[in-house]
Amino acid sequence: MAKTKLIDSIEFPAEKSPLKAFVAVGAIGILLSLVGLVVNTEQFMYSYLTSFAFFISFALASLFLVMIHHITRSSWGITIRRIPETFSSQLWIYILLFIPILLGMNYLYAWTGDMGDRHPFYADLLDHKSPYLNTAFFIVRNIIYFAVWSFLGYKLYQYSIKMDETGDWGIDNAMRKISAPGILLFGFTVAFASFDWLMSLRFDWFSTMWGVYYFAMSFQALFAFLILIVFYLHSKGLLLNTVTKAHIGDMGGWMFGFTVFYAYIAFSQYFLIYYATIPEETLWFYVRFEDNWSIIAAFILFGRFIIPFIVLLGRPAKSNFKVLKFVTVLILVSHLIEVFWIVMPTLHADFKLHWIDIATFLGFAGIFLGLFFYQFSKNSMIPKNDPKLAESLNKH
Amino acid sequence: MSTNSGYVVEKPLVKGNHTFSSITALVADIVEKPTPLWWYIAFGISNLLLGLLFAMLAYLIWEGTGVWGLNNTVAWGWAIINFVWWVGIGHAGTLISAILYLFRQGWRTAINRFAEAMTIFAVMCAGIFPAVHVGRIWVIYWIFPLPNQMQMWPNFNSPLLWDVFAVSTYFTVSLLFWYVGLVPDFATLRDRVKSKLGAKIYGFFALGWTGGNRQWQHYEKSYLLLAGLATPLVLSVHTIVSFDFAVSIIPGWHTTIFPPYFVAGAIFSGFAMVMTLMLIARKIYGLEDIMTDDHMEKMNIIILVTGWMVGFAYIMEFFIAWYGGVEYEKFAFVNRAFGPYAWAYWIMMFCNVVAPNFFWFKKMRRSVAVSFVLSIVVNIGMWFERFVITVTSLAQDFIPGSWAYYSPTWVDVLTYVGTFGLFFTNFLLFLRFMPMVAIAEIKMVLPQADPHYYDEDGNEPEPVEQIEESK
Repeated sequence: MAKTKLIDSIEFPAEKSPLKAFVAVGAIGILLSLVGLVVNTEQFMYSYLTSFAFFISFALASLFLVMIHHITRSSWGITIRRIPETFSSQLWIYILLFIPILLGMNYLYAWTGDMGDRHPFYADLLDHKSPYLNTAFFIVRNIIYFAVWSFLGYKLYQYSIKMDETGDWGIDNAMRKISAPGILLFGFTVAFASFDWLMSLRFDWFSTMWGVYYFAMSFQALFAFLILIVFYLHSKGLLLNTVTKAHIGDMGGWMFGFTVFYAYIAFSQYFLIYYATIPEETLWFYVRFEDNWSIIAAFILFGRFIIPFIVLLGRPAKSNFKVLKFVTVLILVSHLIEVFWIVMPTLHADFKLHWIDIATFLGFAGIFLGLFFYQFSKNSMIPKNDPKLAESLNKH
Repeated sequence: MSTNSGYVVEKPLVKGNHTFSSITALVADIVEKPTPLWWYIAFGISNLLLGLLFAMLAYLIWEGTGVWGLNNTVAWGWAIINFVWWVGIGHAGTLISAILYLFRQGWRTAINRFAEAMTIFAVMCAGIFPAVHVGRIWVIYWIFPLPNQMQMWPNFNSPLLWDVFAVSTYFTVSLLFWYVGLVPDFATLRDRVKSKLGAKIYGFFALGWTGGNRQWQHYEKSYLLLAGLATPLVLSVHTIVSFDFAVSIIPGWHTTIFPPYFVAGAIFSGFAMVMTLMLIARKIYGLEDIMTDDHMEKMNIIILVTGWMVGFAYIMEFFIAWYGGVEYEKFAFVNRAFGPYAWAYWIMMFCNVVAPNFFWFKKMRRSVAVSFVLSIVVNIGMWFERFVITVTSLAQDFIPGSWAYYSPTWVDVLTYVGTFGLFFTNFLLFLRFMPMVAIAEIKMVLPQADPHYYDEDGNEPEPVEQIEESK
């Protein structure tokens, strides 16, 4: 069989790392956020949760991608695997980033406080839910989630690095062995985490689809993000012959597939609630289709489904980098707006962008991307000794 | 620079050093050889069951739906259960032929032909139930939006109507897909069979296929297009079936996770059915080289994964039924697990969530006996899933005065048994007269089909470093 050799340099040159820029952005964001925390604590908490839920979604989706890659023994994505591996190896950092949410729980989650002058219905309902919705159990649950994710993300990264060093192909099996039960744990932890972080913002609302919905959003956005990172690396002249048009086209295909999957899940959830018109379910959509929130909802519909669907349907779009860049940016922006649309109507009856929203976003962006590039430049940019690397390079 | 010079050699998809011609012979000989005795026996039994089905349907239409076990609250009994069960089974065929094709899964070629056949026959069995359950079958055409002097139209807001379109589209596309794939193989049979009549018939269906370059290009393109068209159908059909339940406000039916949960369940049961049939067929026809233990293992992994998807949905439903704090939902779920139909609920839980966990172990995944038994267990479990959903939610409705225990009548049971007659009659005819493996596609996954297979001097390659697989 014809063999394609690795001809690119696989080390990330220090001078090309945008680390400094992200440290600067992050520092400004953190400073502004701290000001925001003092000036308007409630707004800060909601902005913080939005940014948190947005950025961790990439790390979580990355973990899923890495595990599914190992389980299915895929070869197509070996050359890009180090990118999601790096993201998911940093899941432990979110333990620290979650502390502000724990400290500010009273601002975010109505179920932490007493019901005040609300209708007695709510007190009864909360009483019913208190075995699950109580601060102690909330903390315990989140410790479990982060423990599971940190372990899986870190361990898989460590194994991958070890394979780089030793070239021992047996590690491939070890990775598969933790990925299989890992996927199962991932499914349940992410579902319950999304209940805890986002669904319980309105403790009187519920949807069995919620966990799948958060996952579907995240996984679609991840492919957009990965493609953008590859474009960035290409623009610096890196991995030009390693991550080729074929790999980018495949990621475009995945992005298309999960655009449809996201729409399917989001529509099913919406449609079943719409059709049955039960007040305890429709209340969630009711506030989100009020006033100018409905414009935001329409933007999401077009931004992450209708436009990407039409554009990505044909094969040529997936190898046209300009088109791809446009679609990926559109999906990422829509993803952010959707998380915003999920969190913020709890606080504001009307859509408005607060400066603290931008501050926490910049802070998180700095931390997230800064740490990524820091870690990414420490090891080779691809798993250089992976048994299927040659096969992946051969893709055309 | 990379230190990696090795290359993983994938396990061959076809075992036993076959050549192009030996593959053709292996599959086509089945059709050309005289009919074996067991086939007549099996066909006879299937025909008796098919006759039973016709008798039951005739009795039903003559007497009316009162012959079924339906009662005041349970207005949807075995008919909808059997409909969903059969439609669900069909899904594996479409998944294998469309989605696995788009994912470039070469191993699908061994099983896609008869999985597709299974799909078509299963949808036929499924279609009977909604048609006959209407009671007055002579006005069944009212389900179609036909202009009429009464200005009477079906309710376009009803998912039951969408089902009519979804299932008929699904059947049509599956049939086309199956037929397009069969064309080159019909041509092979046309060129091989000895009987003149056989050659004529196969020749008719082969549409003048000669295997020319241009024909192959058209073929590949149409196959890809059909795969693309069939992919959304994998989701849409069972999604709409789930809508039949979930758009209502019946506790236990109305929950947002229903669409993906039903799709996962359909694939789960479909793969189990393909497994059952594959293990029998490969044994009888000696096709172990094509349908290898590796295929079995891969299918078992899919069964394990989809089994857990279904398990995930069960757990989410139960959790939210409590968490939602809605009295009726809570009652519906506690009633499922501990009420009068608890036995059905626990059979479902055991068969669908507990039993597939044997497949965490490689030994079990590769054991023919375990795979065969579990594949049947899964389909029993999936039948009970539909039973639990349908009956437990209806039997104890909002008015305790009308609660009654639902039991099927002998007509219910025998009609269901009869559908197996329809299924196996068709399936046996398929095994006897059609190439049950996609001959042309199997050849494409042989190592010889790789343009780089032979080196410049025309020698066969030597295997390089190989990775040991485990788990």
